[in-house]
Amino acid sequence: MSETTVIIKRRTQTPVKKKSQIGYTAAALVVIIAMGVYLAQVKTLLSIIWFLGIALGVILQKSRFCFTASLRDPILTGSTTLTRATLIAFAVAMVGFAALQFTTLLKGGPVTGNVSPVGLHTVIGAILFGIGMVISGGCASGTLMRMGEGFAMQWISITTFILGSVLGAIHFGWWTENFFRAAPKIYIPEVLGWAGGFWGQLAVLALLYVVATWYEYRNID
Amino acid sequence: MAEFTIDALGEACPIPLLKVQKKWPELQRGDVLVVNIDHSCALKNIPEWARKQGQNVEVEEVEDGVWDIYIEKID
Amino acid sequence: MTAKAVQELETLKKAVIKDAWPYWLGGALLGLLNIVIFIYMASPWGVTTAFVFWGAWIYQLFGGHSETWSFFTLQPAMMQALKGGLLNHGGSIINIGLIVGAFLSAAAASQFKIKKIKSGRQVIAALIGGLLMGYGARLSFGCNVGAYFSGIASMSLHGWVFGIFIFVGAYFGSKLVVKYLM
Repeated sequence: MSETTVIIKRRTQTPVKKKSQIGYTAAALVVIIAMGVYLAQVKTLLSIIWFLGIALGVILQKSRFCFTASLRDPILTGSTTLTRATLIAFAVAMVGFAALQFTTLLKGGPVTGNVSPVGLHTVIGAILFGIGMVISGGCASGTLMRMGEGFAMQWISITTFILGSVLGAIHFGWWTENFFRAAPKIYIPEVLGWAGGFWGQLAVLALLYVVATWYEYRNID
Repeated sequence: MAEFTIDALGEACPIPLLKVQKKWPELQRGDVLVVNIDHSCALKNIPEWARKQGQNVEVEEVEDGVWDIYIEKID
Repeated sequence: MTAKAVQELETLKKAVIKDAWPYWLGGALLGLLNIVIFIYMASPWGVTTAFVFWGAWIYQLFGGHSETWSFFTLQPAMMQALKGGLLNHGGSIINIGLIVGAFLSAAAASQFKIKKIKSGRQVIAALIGGLLMGYGARLSFGCNVGAYFSGIASMSLHGWVFGIFIFVGAYFGSKLVVKYLM
């Protein structure tokens, strides 16, 4: 694809008023290192966690990763590129998680990881969350990432995000009484067997990847 | 060879792309659509969408965190 | 160094610092990072539980008694973390790190900019959206990170159920966006 003359003409007309943000960058690095050193004196683990957080922020920002878009774009714009990227993230994490979980289980320990009660509350929570993230323009990680990028909108939505979390924490007892207590925690490998659960889920992720690719290009050529 | 401009400054994703998709059928072959954005996600999804359609795309950083996306309709 | 070598390094620097990385690379790196988080923090990546603590500590600053909230009274581990304070709370530290990391990354590419709000409708959408996400995440034991990403990666059924119905929510949300924000 060759660049058009129209574009070239326009580009040379546009004045460039760019400045470097090396000052901001340096300030950020100083804060990051100072905080890392300080936390290391409190507890080494906290310092490691701090740098893991920094890494998350850098990766999310650099790759423009957005869980909201991964769930919204197939509906709204027809793109599944991010959806497929999340499937890659799931598959990669799942392999490591399984190794950690199975190791603990083999030692006679409990099921580790995020295995939580599933039921009607999961459905209600997911729908509320889905609506919220699309209208506010960012999920939990996306809100934090955009706060760092300078979006005023996310500095506003974080306030009610905290407020909503607090309300949920106050009502936790009611939901526990009426929903959580009776709801089962279902660890898939316990139902389908370790091999069946692991390979089965990996196969489902792969299948979803194929379907997502088909969906994106179904209307082209 | 008309040129259209969409001002999507301050618009969060996916509004800039939706505006482009809405405007697109009005363009004739050879027309250029300029989209002014400051949302870094739109910087990725608009060119991606346009290239998938087989159009010519150019991105220019006008100032820190602000971009102009040029899309030329070639078919 | 030869001009060619310098040019090669400049290209690499641009690809790493200035340009956006491909989505699949971001996905793979997040998957790896979530494993590292699981190893160090003994549980996978989650974002929203920390928000309860932030609200609780702010409430305490104003003299409130957040330790009476059932989220804390029914979960001894959470109560202990509440007493530990912000600087001992890994979930808070990783979140603050995420904000600072995103700032660093944007600034290093000279792309940081305070993005102003365009309309009152955006403010209302942001406020309602935040509230729905905060409450919703408490019902489903996590957000799209803790319940969806980490839940599915933990091979838990609740992750899959969350994943299916967050799509339903995203569908309604998309309708609202097209109707009120376009």
